[in-house]
Amino acid sequence: QEFSEVTEMALVRDVVYACQGIDGRYIKFDKEIDGYKVNDNLKLPKATKVLIRRLCEVGWLYRRVKEHITESLEQGPMEVIGTVGQAFCAALQEELSDYYRLMAVLEAQLHNPIPFMSTVEGAKGAGNYLSLRRLWVWLAEPLVRMRLMAVLVDDCKSLRGGAMAGAIHMHAQHGDPLVRGFMGSLLRRVCSPLFEMVRKWVLEGEIDDLYGEFFVVPQPVKAEALWREGYQLQTGMLPSFIPEPLAQRILRTGKSINFLRVCCEDQGWATAAADALAAAGTPAGGGGIGYGETETLEALVVEAAARIDRHLIRIIYDQYKFREHCLAIKRYLLLGQGDFIQYLMDLVGPDLSQPANTVSSFKLAGLLESAVRSSNAQYDDSDVLDRLRVRMMPHNEGDRGWDVFSLEYNARDPLTTIFTEFVMARYLRIFNFLWRLRCVDHALSATWQTMKPNCSIARLWASIDGGTKSQLAAVMRRCQTLRNEMNHFVTNLQYYIMFEVLEHSWANFLDEMEEAHDLDELIVAHERYLSSIVEKALLGERSQLLCKTLFTLFDLILRFRGLADRLYENAREVQTRGEIAARRKVKELQASVPYNTGFRKLPTVQLTKELLASMGEEMDVIAAEYSSLLEGFFAQLPVQQHVDLKFLSFRLDFSEFYTRQHMGTSTMHIKLKRTPKF
Amino acid sequence: RSNVENDRAIGLFAASVQELLVIDDLLFLMVGIEGKYIHVKQGRLKDTSMVFQMDSSMDLSLCELTKRVLPLCENYIIVSQFTETRSHFKYGLVNHAFAAALRAILQDYHAMVAQLEHQFRLARLSLQGLWFFCQPMMGAMQALSVVLRRASAKQLSGAAILNLLQSQAAAMAGDNAARSLLQKLAHAASAPYFRMLERWVYEGVIDDPYGEFFIDENKGLQKESLSQDYNATYWQQRYSLRHDIPGFLTSVAETILTTGKYLNAVRECGHTIRIPFSDDVKLTNAGARHQYLDRINIAYNFASAELLNLIINKFDLLARLRSVKHYFLLDQGDFLVHFMDIAKEELVKRPSAVSKEKLQSLLELALRTSVAAADPYHEDLTCNVERLSLVAQLQHILKDRAVFSEPNFLSELLKIDLSSLETASQGTAESLNGLETFTLDYKVRWPLSLVISRKALTKYQLIFRHLFHCKHVERQLCTTWQAHQATRGLGFVGTSMQRSYVLCQQMLHFMQSFEHYMTFEVLEPNWHIMGSKLQSSKSVDEVIQHHDFFLNDCLKKCMVLWPSILKKLEKLKDVCLQYARATQWLIPSLFVPQQNNHDPLSQNGNKSQDVKGFKGTNRLRNAKTQLTLVKTEDSNFKSVIGKMADDFKKELSELLLMLSTGSQTEPCLAHMAQSFQALGQV
Repeated sequence: QEFSEVTEMALVRDVVYACQGIDGRYIKFDKEIDGYKVNDNLKLPKATKVLIRRLCEVGWLYRRVKEHITESLEQGPMEVIGTVGQAFCAALQEELSDYYRLMAVLEAQLHNPIPFMSTVEGAKGAGNYLSLRRLWVWLAEPLVRMRLMAVLVDDCKSLRGGAMAGAIHMHAQHGDPLVRGFMGSLLRRVCSPLFEMVRKWVLEGEIDDLYGEFFVVPQPVKAEALWREGYQLQTGMLPSFIPEPLAQRILRTGKSINFLRVCCEDQGWATAAADALAAAGTPAGGGGIGYGETETLEALVVEAAARIDRHLIRIIYDQYKFREHCLAIKRYLLLGQGDFIQYLMDLVGPDLSQPANTVSSFKLAGLLESAVRSSNAQYDDSDVLDRLRVRMMPHNEGDRGWDVFSLEYNARDPLTTIFTEFVMARYLRIFNFLWRLRCVDHALSATWQTMKPNCSIARLWASIDGGTKSQLAAVMRRCQTLRNEMNHFVTNLQYYIMFEVLEHSWANFLDEMEEAHDLDELIVAHERYLSSIVEKALLGERSQLLCKTLFTLFDLILRFRGLADRLYENAREVQTRGEIAARRKVKELQASVPYNTGFRKLPTVQLTKELLASMGEEMDVIAAEYSSLLEGFFAQLPVQQHVDLKFLSFRLDFSEFYTRQHMGTSTMHIKLKRTPKF
Repeated sequence: RSNVENDRAIGLFAASVQELLVIDDLLFLMVGIEGKYIHVKQGRLKDTSMVFQMDSSMDLSLCELTKRVLPLCENYIIVSQFTETRSHFKYGLVNHAFAAALRAILQDYHAMVAQLEHQFRLARLSLQGLWFFCQPMMGAMQALSVVLRRASAKQLSGAAILNLLQSQAAAMAGDNAARSLLQKLAHAASAPYFRMLERWVYEGVIDDPYGEFFIDENKGLQKESLSQDYNATYWQQRYSLRHDIPGFLTSVAETILTTGKYLNAVRECGHTIRIPFSDDVKLTNAGARHQYLDRINIAYNFASAELLNLIINKFDLLARLRSVKHYFLLDQGDFLVHFMDIAKEELVKRPSAVSKEKLQSLLELALRTSVAAADPYHEDLTCNVERLSLVAQLQHILKDRAVFSEPNFLSELLKIDLSSLETASQGTAESLNGLETFTLDYKVRWPLSLVISRKALTKYQLIFRHLFHCKHVERQLCTTWQAHQATRGLGFVGTSMQRSYVLCQQMLHFMQSFEHYMTFEVLEPNWHIMGSKLQSSKSVDEVIQHHDFFLNDCLKKCMVLWPSILKKLEKLKDVCLQYARATQWLIPSLFVPQQNNHDPLSQNGNKSQDVKGFKGTNRLRNAKTQLTLVKTEDSNFKSVIGKMADDFKKELSELLLMLSTGSQTEPCLAHMAQSFQALGQV
């Protein structure tokens, strides 16, 4: 009986020690079974042993938690744990100190003797003794808490930063009010470093993240790529209680401040940030936002984002004149300023006809300057004109000046964020296409200029002479119809590009610019503007074949121009010869000297006839090639996805002439159109 | 008691010692630990049932007394096991809260056991005393274990647990202590449930990590689907009720669902709203029942007013509907006349050859040059070319039973005619042209697509196509009428012209009175009725319902949903068109300048001449060139006209017969028959 009484008290004492991770006299930690064990030498009732084992679970759990705290705080390197891990350990430590308080209370009760039925008189003062069963009541709640902590320690051991906070958050999704409250207070402490980072990032645009725990990660890039690539969202570090859209917004807000500070050298953001803070109703001292207040955080971020973005957009528009530069690019690079382009083309035309390697870029720059001076462009802002340059593209063997000439617009920082090199390259492509189109148009107009003075003469001849001249007239007529046909095509195409594509896209872009709330939207709007032009102007991926056909058509038209020029040169020659002959005839008549002209005239006539025949044939070849190419072009148009391209085909073929021609046998048509033979 | 060194049978002790030993054992057993003399064995049938084995040498009366306490121990084991397992994550929030409440009860129980031990150590506890002290706990534990056995047998979670607790509490109504215990538990367990309910009712957000809430969200349905899906399932099926609704919410479940749905719709429009009073008072089960029902009702009223306000005022529903009416119900006809003039050539092509882009640009041209340009929404109008004719499409739709799932009379009605329709549609499939397949379309954006969904738009389209074709027939007849006017001075008395003239008038009258009936007697009054209903409606669902009702009523009264009548009408229109075509060709060939009248070949050439050409002939007459009637053509014409007149008359009388027989059940048929009254007597 002695033995038992002593043992119960000693056992209780041992259990209380075991609960603090300390080995007692009878109860010791056994590494093999990974738990506390009562000394085998003691003869105890089985029931008591079971109860002791249950009680010692607390101790076992305590050891695990304590181990983690010691490991992380004392031995582990800070880089691995991070501030969030640190906060976690501190929170656990605090929770443990509550536990220690309980242990101290228990310890005090430990010395009160356990009354036994024989000592009835001891019942008076001995209310506060500890028995194993009483201990069980005492430890019920600490057991639950300790279990939670141990589970957290196990689950979060390998995690850091936002990921750890997210993992703890997942554990907080519990219906038990005790668990909820415990996890809530724990998370508030754990997340405070994270929220401090968020606050600093959103309001000051700085990342204060020594150990890589934040979900925004800076990348080492140059200033012009700062916006696009400078900061990225690291989804692994995003705690699950911050939704993805909110995270994106946080990222962008900080980026905006960063951008303002680094690229725009602007100070105005500070007041905007302070305003946002005031509007969101959080104290400026920090720590205003914490876990469980996602709505407050969201409100703060929304306020800050709205203000900062508005400020940024204003800076971009007012200080850096984004709109003006876009317009300038449209006017110069997309040929919006008609008189300037016309003048430039007239000026540089002769130079560009030379082989590419002989063209001097300095001379071209001079010509550009004079084109600016002599057109309405001279009234433009000098800042804009400064940025306009001539650029010669790398040339291959046999390229002409036309192939390598292009204009360039130099958008300086910070606008390079929007006008990146890639964007400018796309502008360049569009410019080249438009320049080419304009060049073809120019060529056709020039042909018209040579034709116009000659057409009356041609008609005159047709009635006079049946031979060479009527043949000449026929060839010229053929030439005219062909030119008209080409002109119809080119004019309509140009109309389509200018009005349906450029102006339409520009109008849309202006609307979107009005609505853009932040730089990202602005970039997207600009991107959409550019790609809609590229897509509709047949420069896109899907219309490569079509574009190739179009360029072949352009080449053909240029070839036609050469032929027409030769033809008219010839015609003029015939005309002047005719005039000379007529004059000579008059002279002969006047001098009445018999002079045999037939000798010399006959071979030249023959020559002209042959020349005309070959020219007529060449014309036929061009015409045939042209109509087949055009037919191919039409055939491909409806295949394209874009609705506007269907409009183009509908416009080019408004009277359904080509459709009908296509339906009828095409060979028949070519025959009909062929130059009459003599 | 202290003999630890051996396991002697209990019978060897004196009865008083036996009692002490048994009490000690019982105290262990009461916290679920097997004692020395009482052993626990798992029952054979189920895991939950237990068998206690007592040392057979025990004093018999002690043994009996002990046996009475044993059920408490068994119940304790059940409760504690349940509490341990149910706080695992997978069992859901309600189970967690329930387990937490149980744990509090167990804590009380443990304290009681410790107290008993204290008494025992003071040697004040007899077995009889133990039995007495356990009494209050016995009842509670018994009640709990009944509940828990059921809960764990069916693996209940969420609302089912709440329902079980409630029903059990109701069943135990006589036992006051047990009932209040169960109610307390139900209250604790429903706390997380009410938290979810609160978020849904106040914010329109489902925060339900374990799928316990009675509203199910179908994330696969996107709001954009409303503008494509013919069944408009988004609004009905995006959120739906699950089967297990807590009993105390069953009556208001629908209200709760719609409240959250409205809030969600507002949220989808980019507005974040909170119901203002939610901050101070929480929804709880604790208050009287009417209290939370009141709150839910307030939330419902707020949400529906908010969404309605958004749709009607911010997104301007009424102006939208008016705009739709302008185009689809031909409210402002000038754009249509203009469009039909400029798109005539494109529309007579085969449907596959019609260029949608060309029609679209012509439509825009017509819109901009008509009064429709004043409508701010006219840019949303687009056009489309269907593959099937109206009748065929109706039949197609009916097969799917998509658009008209609601009116029952329809399926009854259409079953009869379905087979005959099929043959009819096959016959006409080749001879379709753009006029019969052309239809308008309208771009509707969220949230207006809630009201003007694809389903509603399809109904609008059906009405439009019906009207459009009637308009076309009427125009053709008008052209014929013009052709007749040109022959007035030619002295056709006694020729077939007279007859043709009368027929033309009859047909025109028929078409015009039919159109008049549709527009003035069906569409306009119904529209006004709907307008006044919309003004007074309280929620979006009501708006949708009124709009749907309007459309269905219009469809029905415009005869689109009566296939037999519709088919007859199509026949009549067909006859009219044939007549128009025939006369426009034949009339110019009837009268020719005298010098040419014996050259029939040249008449063939004249075929392509239209009215304008005929006017030329007219001018010739003025120039005193003698025109004479070609006798052979006249007789030919006469026979053609005669046949058509007979056809027309026959079809018309059949139609009237149909209308009069049907008018018994459907007053609208009588209405329509009345407008043809004059024709019937001819």
